[in-house]
Amino acid sequence: MSGPFSELRERLLEAGIAPRYARRYVRELSDHLADLTAEEGREGRSHAEAESMALRRLGSIDDLASALIERREFQSWAVRAPWAIFGLAPIAFLAVAWSVALLILWAGWNIFLPQADSPFATSIGPIYGIENACFQTGRLIYFGAPIFVGWVIGMMAARQRLRAVWPVFGTSLVALIASAAQVHASRTRVADGIGHITMRFSFGSSVQDVSGNLAQAFLVVSLAVLPYAVWRLRRPKPLST
Amino acid sequence: MAGRDTNPNFMNGVPELLILRLLRKQEMYGYQIVECIRDRTNSVITIGEGVVYPVLHGLERDGALKSRRKRVNGRSRIYYSVTPEGRTRLAELSGSWNSLAAAIRKMLKGGQHVGAF
Repeated sequence: MSGPFSELRERLLEAGIAPRYARRYVRELSDHLADLTAEEGREGRSHAEAESMALRRLGSIDDLASALIERREFQSWAVRAPWAIFGLAPIAFLAVAWSVALLILWAGWNIFLPQADSPFATSIGPIYGIENACFQTGRLIYFGAPIFVGWVIGMMAARQRLRAVWPVFGTSLVALIASAAQVHASRTRVADGIGHITMRFSFGSSVQDVSGNLAQAFLVVSLAVLPYAVWRLRRPKPLST
Repeated sequence: MAGRDTNPNFMNGVPELLILRLLRKQEMYGYQIVECIRDRTNSVITIGEGVVYPVLHGLERDGALKSRRKRVNGRSRIYYSVTPEGRTRLAELSGSWNSLAAAIRKMLKGGQHVGAF
């Protein structure tokens, strides 16, 4: 964003003001500036003079920024309760996404592979068939959810100009949970018995298991934070106050 | 010490009061509000041109005002108007300000506190 209020907007976001309030404030100030400039122009001033006078009447960037920053109710939830936004919310989202993925897996198993002991069968019909599409969708949601959550966290952090601590914490937490998650499937040993899918969380019992899980977590973190890291590298230096 | 209501800052609530009063009968946008307050108070009270918006947004957030975007003369503006909740708040603010003003007027008229000792 360019114009006289780009600095103000950055300052508001860095102070933790919710993006929607910062955006609206800047927009209304821009309208107000246009009105003041027109008013000053009617007094016979040149456009440059009129705009300069209008900016003076509107108030300094410091005054305009502090007027909003002093009011805590305009702060974003990511600043007010980062533990909820970067701790609880990602876990809740992950739980919902995994529930959907496992439901798809369970439904596909019982509908398309009623005889199979496991839904992780090697042959699940033609590659373009509905069976395959069903299983691949479930798999995509299951494996993609942690990375998607990480992207959302990164996007929020970038949008709200947050420091890296909480976003990295949230992404790491999601990655650790994702690496510890294990899906188990079993079928009742009777004719057309119903299949059961359960989920457990374990870091394994051996050093090898733990290192494998950590490697998986590292992979998830790397993929999840990549867009955020690129944004931080490309971002202009923060404003000094 | 027993709790007692104080007037921490005489100007606290003034912008809210004036804005609610102004918007009671017609909707306005920020620039209009500032101009109107300046005109009607003969420039005795001037609200900072830019800082009126946090007050407006705060009132809207509290449910005292509502806003809508309206296009006038080719320009899109955000117009504010008072809600029923805002009217209640206006009545409360007006009441407390009237009693405060009456108390100050009484003091200024020279009411002496005889026998203070």
